[in-house]
Amino acid sequence: MIFRPLKFFSSLRLTVALLSFAMVLIFVATLTQVELGIYEVQAKFFRSWIAWWDVMPGAKKFLIPIPGGTLLGILLIVNLLAAHGSRFKLRWNKAGMIVIHSGILLMLLGEIFTGLLGREAQMTINEGEISNYSTFPRETELVVIRPDADGMETVTAIPQARLKAGAEFPLSGFSVKIHSYFPNSEILPESEATEKFDKIRATEGFGKGYAVRLTPRETMDDRRDLTTAFVEVIPDGGNSQGRWLLSNAFKGEQSFEAAGRLWKMAIRPRRLYHPFSIKLLDFSHDRYLGTDVPKNFSSKIKILNPDTGENREDLIYMNHPLRYGGLTFYQAGFENNDTTTIFQVVRNPVWTLPYISCAMVGLGLLWVFSQHLIKAIARRNKITPAP
Amino acid sequence: MSTLRKISAWLIPSLCLLFIASAAFKATRPSEGLDFKGFGTLPVVSNGRVQPLDSLARNALLSIHGKQSVPGDDAPASPAAWLAELNFNPELADTRKIFPIHHDDLLGLTKLTPGEEKSYSYAELQPSFPALQPEAKRIAATDSKTWSPYEKALMLLTRNLTLYNQLKHALALPGQGHLESEFSLFLTDIGAALAESDKQTRAEKFNQSTMDNASSRVKIVMEWASMTEVYTTPSGNAADGWRKLPDSLTDAVEKGALHPSTLAYARLGDAYRARDATAFNSAIKDYQTWLLVNRPDQFNKSSAETLFNAIAPFYLCMVLYVVAFLCAIVSWLWQGTTFRQAAFRVLLIGLTFQSLGLVTRMMLEGRPPVTNLYSSAIFIGWGAIVLSTAIELFHRNAIGTAVASVIGFATLLIAHHLSLSGDTLEMMRAVLDTNFWLATHVVVITLGYASTFLAGTIAIVYLIRRAFGNAPQTTAASLRGMVYGVICFATLASFVGTVLGGIWADQSWGRFWGWDPKENGALLIVIWNAIILHARWGGMVRERGMMVMAVFGNIVTSWSWFGTNMLGIGLHSYGFTDAAFLWLSAFVFSQVLFMTLGLIRYRSATV
Repeated sequence: MIFRPLKFFSSLRLTVALLSFAMVLIFVATLTQVELGIYEVQAKFFRSWIAWWDVMPGAKKFLIPIPGGTLLGILLIVNLLAAHGSRFKLRWNKAGMIVIHSGILLMLLGEIFTGLLGREAQMTINEGEISNYSTFPRETELVVIRPDADGMETVTAIPQARLKAGAEFPLSGFSVKIHSYFPNSEILPESEATEKFDKIRATEGFGKGYAVRLTPRETMDDRRDLTTAFVEVIPDGGNSQGRWLLSNAFKGEQSFEAAGRLWKMAIRPRRLYHPFSIKLLDFSHDRYLGTDVPKNFSSKIKILNPDTGENREDLIYMNHPLRYGGLTFYQAGFENNDTTTIFQVVRNPVWTLPYISCAMVGLGLLWVFSQHLIKAIARRNKITPAP
Repeated sequence: MSTLRKISAWLIPSLCLLFIASAAFKATRPSEGLDFKGFGTLPVVSNGRVQPLDSLARNALLSIHGKQSVPGDDAPASPAAWLAELNFNPELADTRKIFPIHHDDLLGLTKLTPGEEKSYSYAELQPSFPALQPEAKRIAATDSKTWSPYEKALMLLTRNLTLYNQLKHALALPGQGHLESEFSLFLTDIGAALAESDKQTRAEKFNQSTMDNASSRVKIVMEWASMTEVYTTPSGNAADGWRKLPDSLTDAVEKGALHPSTLAYARLGDAYRARDATAFNSAIKDYQTWLLVNRPDQFNKSSAETLFNAIAPFYLCMVLYVVAFLCAIVSWLWQGTTFRQAAFRVLLIGLTFQSLGLVTRMMLEGRPPVTNLYSSAIFIGWGAIVLSTAIELFHRNAIGTAVASVIGFATLLIAHHLSLSGDTLEMMRAVLDTNFWLATHVVVITLGYASTFLAGTIAIVYLIRRAFGNAPQTTAASLRGMVYGVICFATLASFVGTVLGGIWADQSWGRFWGWDPKENGALLIVIWNAIILHARWGGMVRERGMMVMAVFGNIVTSWSWFGTNMLGIGLHSYGFTDAAFLWLSAFVFSQVLFMTLGLIRYRSATV
């Protein structure tokens, strides 16, 4: 038998096989969510070529390889294009199928572009306060801040990916050297630390007296890594001025002196600055009388944009996001006894694609199936003529 | 067709109508003696919504006892009567055996000897509270996902005891004597104390004991208020404006007079204890008249809900579907048009009645038909019956009727068991509070479930008839047409429903697709239907293969409907119950058996 690529890639058998694998993948990925967080599951199953199914969850004894989401998605697209390419005929009764499959293609492409172009961050604001940035809750950065005379700050941010032991980052008049780096860690006062903890200690700052140990990265949705590093400040041509313990477990920045002035540094969630600010006027969280069931969450906000001179109020609440400046703000959470709001901030330039593809597929299916129905009725009328 | 046959085809449907009429008559007939039906219509706010006392009592009995009845020869005849007894004669109510305990370890802890009914009274349980409380505290501190069956049973018992106690304090304070005079005494005593306190501020001579007496009374009322979560007194206009009975007493001090509702419950309690039907019934009448003038919307709604509870339309529908199914079977065995028509007519009566029930629920809630797992069960049944009716009109061979009645009965049975967990007209959480998406995404996806189940059930009929080897070719062909058509519809509904869900998620969380278990479950249904269609078009399966695949669709759908909720994760998780897991496993097993039936080759079979 000769392998004919076009026949293979355009066959319905391949479609059925790929869809069946997709079912297995989705089912296994759903079960795995009991053990792993949704982010980990997405990366391991849907954005991978091969996914490993841990048959006994957590035991890591029986791992079965199954085709991952990326592989299946690409093969399905190839299959779809090959099938239509090799059998393309512009006829009315085929038009429905073409519309359906174009819609599905559009949806798959939409998901790919969302993955590439989309961004998700969070904005946390306390009542009465103003914020002009969002943070990426699962990423951190090391910042060195130069406070300027006019109340402004010049921030040098080093992304998490570049943090590793021994890395040195030159700044004006001094450099910052990473002595040791912990992507996720446990931090305890020295007195409570066991021998599992690292021997190294800070000599400066408010991390003095704490011990650190490396822990596995967090995978559950509700848990965050504690990124920690011991950092040395070395003046140009001089010796280390001391060792600081930086971590997003600590609130606020730690200050030091170098090159004849005051500096501050910290490890904190990575920030995305916006060209406008949002002020939280009021957050309200109502519950139904006599229950803890939330009736509604809403944030009354004010948008302040110095570029456009905008200064207006708006209300963000469940199922009613605010779309502004290419971003969408959703009511995602709250804390501090209902005085702090948390917005999910999303940039997704292709958010309209699912709407279009849903309409295409829906109408296409309706068209194709009503043709089937008309044929079936015609057939029945032929068998038993109407009285 | 002879006249006799025509008459008999109407006879069974007429009997069914008579059956419904008698149920409706029973529900509307006023009660003798103490008017517990009227008592049941009185509106209160509980679980965040205005509801009649009747619903409060029914839901409490369902969650505590698992039934809407109280055991015992002299037991209260209705849930509302039980609620009245619980509040106005708690000593007697405490002896009703309504707390089931099945777990042996829990029985050991409570030192109770297992009786025949395995249900115990509050009075019997009371001595073991000192043993129960520390256990409950210990278990509550742990993750509920790790609870053992014993721990779950203990927490359930604790929850039910709390609920019982809250209800007991809803309409009266146990241990208080003559309520009406107690309440007015409260007003005069506090008034007197306020006068004394004024004297004190003006540095005049004042009576300390009057003030002490009043403060001890206030303390009792405040403690009472902390013991209940039922709001009896319509103070403001909205549901948020209601007050608990004890709080309404405190409010009355400022106004100088008792609220009509407060007064009504005091009089009801006194009349109940005196077994004075005239006083009891006139207290209800007076309060109802006041409600009709001052809170007409809320009172009409709670009266409607009481009537809805009493008629129990979904229970009647279950009976009708059994009758329709039996008639359909008879029509197959005797090849009778008479019974086929009778079956279809009974089904239509059931469908009409179920539709009325659904619409009533929608009006009571002010929501689209599906708002929780309970209503999804009712709507899946409804959707499947509507589709089967179309099929029956098309094919006229009683298969549509038979399948519809099976699905209708099964889904209502599932709904009944889901209703055991409490109020089925509960308020919507903030995330779900959008009628637009409930009316579009939820309705369409539920129709997707319904049609996938329908295709699977028709396929089971095909496989059984094939196994018995007596299916004529024409029937096989019509079954094939039905299954294929329904799968097409299922593909459409489940796809559109799933994508609409994605769009809703995009609207409320900012992401179209998040691989949440419930989303994945819905996607599995779409993909499985697509697989069936592609396999059929590609000639990979023929008639029999398509039927086996359609049965597997039942498994996929039941996973999406219930299985995903049992994982206890994700945005759609509603809690896990062991019994539900067993039933789901049993269902999956039965479907596998049907599939095996289809995989066996018979010598006589041609396909």
